[in-house]
Amino acid sequence: MRDERFDVVVIGGGHNGSTIAAYLAKSGLSTCVLEARPECGGGQENTEVRPGFRIDPHATYLYGGAAPGFDQLELWKYGMRMVYYPSMAGLVTLDGQAANMGSRWRPDLAEQSLARYSPEDQGGTGRIFDELGEQGSRELLRALFWTPPLPSQLEMDPVDMPWWKVFRERLPQFWFDQLLDMNYLDFLDEFVHWEPLKVLSAIGAWYCGAHPAWDGMMLQALGGTLLFNYASGAPRGGMHTYAHAIVRCALAHGARIITNAPVGEVIIRDGRAVGVRLADDAAFGEKTIWADKAVISAIDVQHTFLNVIGQRHLDPSFRQRISDISLKGGSLFVMSVICRELPRYHGRADAFPDEVYPSCVVAPADSLEWVRIQTRDSYSTRTGPVSLQPEHLTMMICTHDVYDSTRAVEGFHVLSPIYLEMPPPEYDVNGPDGVNRQKDEITKAALGLLEQLAPNMTGENIVDVFVNTPQDSEFRNTGLVGGNWYGIRHSEDQWFGNRPLPELGRYRTPIEGLYLCNQTSHPGGLCLMAVPYNLMHVLIEDGIADPGSWWYPSPFYVPDPSAKGGYAS
Amino acid sequence: MTRVEHRILRPSEHILDEFPERTDFDVVVIGGGPNGLIAAAYLARSGLRVALVERRQEIGGGLSTEETLFPGYYTNSHAFYHMMTDYLPVLSDFDLRAHGLYFVKPNAQAAAVFSDASSLMLCHQIEDTKDSLAKASPADAAAFGRVMRTWRRIVEDLLAPGTYLPALSPIDMIESLERTEVGGEALRLTEMSPVEIIDETFEDDRVRALMLYVACMWGLDPRESGLGFMVPLMIDRAMNKAQCYGGSHKLAGSLSREIHKAGGVVLDNSEVTRIVVSQGAVTGVECFDGRFLGAKAVLSSLAPPLTFGKLIDRADVPGEMSEAAEHWEWDKWSFCTLALATTTNPRYEVDDPWVNDALMVVLGFDSTDDVLGHYDAVASGDLGDRLGGHATVETRYDLTLTRIAGHHVSFLQIHAPYDIDGGWEARGPGVADELLDLWRRHWPGLDDSGIVRRSLESPVDIETRISSMVRGSIKHGDYNPLQMGAFRPSASCVGGRSPIAGLYLCGSSSYPGGLVIGGPGYIAAGSVVEDMGAERWWQTPPFVRRYQEQYLS
Repeated sequence: MRDERFDVVVIGGGHNGSTIAAYLAKSGLSTCVLEARPECGGGQENTEVRPGFRIDPHATYLYGGAAPGFDQLELWKYGMRMVYYPSMAGLVTLDGQAANMGSRWRPDLAEQSLARYSPEDQGGTGRIFDELGEQGSRELLRALFWTPPLPSQLEMDPVDMPWWKVFRERLPQFWFDQLLDMNYLDFLDEFVHWEPLKVLSAIGAWYCGAHPAWDGMMLQALGGTLLFNYASGAPRGGMHTYAHAIVRCALAHGARIITNAPVGEVIIRDGRAVGVRLADDAAFGEKTIWADKAVISAIDVQHTFLNVIGQRHLDPSFRQRISDISLKGGSLFVMSVICRELPRYHGRADAFPDEVYPSCVVAPADSLEWVRIQTRDSYSTRTGPVSLQPEHLTMMICTHDVYDSTRAVEGFHVLSPIYLEMPPPEYDVNGPDGVNRQKDEITKAALGLLEQLAPNMTGENIVDVFVNTPQDSEFRNTGLVGGNWYGIRHSEDQWFGNRPLPELGRYRTPIEGLYLCNQTSHPGGLCLMAVPYNLMHVLIEDGIADPGSWWYPSPFYVPDPSAKGGYAS
Repeated sequence: MTRVEHRILRPSEHILDEFPERTDFDVVVIGGGPNGLIAAAYLARSGLRVALVERRQEIGGGLSTEETLFPGYYTNSHAFYHMMTDYLPVLSDFDLRAHGLYFVKPNAQAAAVFSDASSLMLCHQIEDTKDSLAKASPADAAAFGRVMRTWRRIVEDLLAPGTYLPALSPIDMIESLERTEVGGEALRLTEMSPVEIIDETFEDDRVRALMLYVACMWGLDPRESGLGFMVPLMIDRAMNKAQCYGGSHKLAGSLSREIHKAGGVVLDNSEVTRIVVSQGAVTGVECFDGRFLGAKAVLSSLAPPLTFGKLIDRADVPGEMSEAAEHWEWDKWSFCTLALATTTNPRYEVDDPWVNDALMVVLGFDSTDDVLGHYDAVASGDLGDRLGGHATVETRYDLTLTRIAGHHVSFLQIHAPYDIDGGWEARGPGVADELLDLWRRHWPGLDDSGIVRRSLESPVDIETRISSMVRGSIKHGDYNPLQMGAFRPSASCVGGRSPIAGLYLCGSSSYPGGLVIGGPGYIAAGSVVEDMGAERWWQTPPFVRRYQEQYLS
């Protein structure tokens, strides 16, 4: 078996790994991606579980509309196509209220709904987006997500952080000092009146990356919903076609991408990562792949340092800190329901007409207290099984087929995903398979609640139900540790330069030549092409990548004072 | 409710660039199955600007490895093994191993397990097969050794090379075959039906049952004469099955990597709704979302009723092709497959433990009559009293199909009619139970507690997933003398060229046919480069050259 040699070897072909490979291949480096699963794309998956029906087991919306990667990598050349939705979000409460919040393309829908329930909320948080406008939104998003963490030596006043800088310049009328330490729930209390709208915003923020209760993360939470609002749609055919475009871009620039090739070990010589050895069950057999310039770990930080780097190469205290990184939050119970009719919500069956049916409905959106209860139960140690009461089962019910006919057979619909928040298996008092053992009863309770909210969602209407628990997700998809969709918690102490640990904040590691490119680094989960974009700055600094004129850095980027290559010279 | 069908919301401001509404290519290939991929890969490397357009979200067509046992278990829902890996030119013309493509070809290729728990095996090595057949009949073991000497040569000298060259007219074919003794034997067999060939060769009824099933399982009619030359091919290839490590989709993925490497474009989720013909020549295709892809050549991998009956305006279809489309016969039978994810290791109760290593195990047939009765029942629209089919433990040779240690993915597949009495929706669950019963008779450890998930895919499901497999036709059309050889799909299409200028046919409905043998795509690619004056960068494989020298010069 011959050994292979590349400039760069990327471990993991999720969207972060594929994207960095595309960036590097386009920069002229010979690049090899090793993916453990049969398909690249990581969480960007679609599965045809039943002939003619496609579900989204993980990622469901395109959030990364503001990513520089779309034009830098020219993804359109590789088949990237979007479907923009006139209505992205809606909410329904148990007592029969229903609001269609439309999308950036149809602001009139939110106006109509709010005029009915809460005239003083006219615009809601949408007011902020309106004030920001197209350019301002992109700038704020790029400051939050598409900026590499600042060099750790740099002393900086928090108000000068890139995102606060943009916020203060663009939205002076909204700025006040307390914003810095606020959590999103506090912020909503300040700006929003109607409780269900607060719930929609809070749950929306949670699914966009930042939990509403995390202190100091108010703008990140708002930014998450801004991401959702900015892109307002999904790729035609589902998120996996987005992965296809990225992978094809990498291939077209000469990258080698090998599937069914899990990496067993990073080879380290004299403290430097020089290649990888594939795991025993890799399709390649045992094979060594050398990396002349860098090894990029696009797998999660714990798997990187606890499994594929030999213990002897790491300081034990560092390993302990790696294993202490918090995985809590983000564990999803994902249901997909194939049905004949879309849910017609009680009380206001007319709230969601067919041509502007909300692609995602948060229900029951009755009380912020319920959001707090769910947070407590998923994040704190529980003492019993998952509760099946409505206040524990707030659902985000997504459907795409109204706007994308590739998703379902005509005459049917697919509600996929229906997300529910769950405790992560690793922290479950009932053992890692605690939720798995409750899988059927949780499914039944959630469907019962759905029927309570939408009386037409009866047994006859429902053709099939597919469920994956957090633990199922872990089995299916190596990268989804804890069935968690953002890797490690997006909390302030695991955000920006602190993500995943301060010394790893700039994507560099204690091992020379080994870099991190996974959602466990800044800015975390969601399919943003942001980690690879940010990492590129560092690779340029270190003299590894030298992209052409198509590349542009973040305006907030600060070079490392000790950098050798690229920007330093 | 009505969908916002094919009419996308076009915001006034595009937030990201998208694939344009109109693009011009040299070649558009319709359908990303094995043949479409092969054709596109060859043509892209010739320097032509190629777009491959696929209706589904994944390329591959029958080369699919999907998580149908959701969540966590993958299965090869169509091609679960590949019979031409010894010959497929694409495997040597491209460095597909660089993409991690490997085939596993075990010696234990196929087994038949009978109702009394006895068994027979068809191994890669002839002597191992003979050892097993001798259990039933020493004479058959000897006969097997004897005929295989000729049958192997029929495959190696004639049929395998012929797979990768345009079809000869029947007269030229006869003339060329008459040159040698091997060719003469192939001609003699052609006039016989599979059951006649098997009866003539073997005496033991169980040996006959295994051989007949293996010869006919992919679509030969056991009683029909005219295609008897395919019996040696099917039996020889049944001893040369290879499984794609990492799933059959890996072959598709490797080919698509070659297309991208050479600058080709693959568009998925893009059903072609029209092939545009102007003044007798193709100008491009229209996709379902209104995008137009201009092309000097269009290769369709779809069968005539779809290519000519649906995609081209009636006025532009030449008479002979509308006739071919109208009279096209879909596969005589389709398949119904019960896939299982189990915690128990599949273990057959059988006289030879080696059976458990077989890539495929035939169950349910003790005699020629059982096999014939099975095919007759299916042809008449039902399943008959005695169910039988072939089972495979997919995780035996491919550990990648599930990550859950100790769990296995297996399936039991039977031939099945598309129009079953009562309809599949009603019959499906009952058929699944019957299949489970059949399986349990031979695999007694298969109790309910060991089954994690099960899924049944009927012929209707096959068509729903892959719409080019109309009526569940995995080969895009029946194998009968009027639809094979130079007649596939029509005598007026030589080398994949259709009577419409610039339109080529490159799918399983073209010569030499389906089953991932790769001939149609390879042949059409050759015709396209010749007609367009592009570079034919690939060499004719040695085994094909030898055939050309001996039979065609």
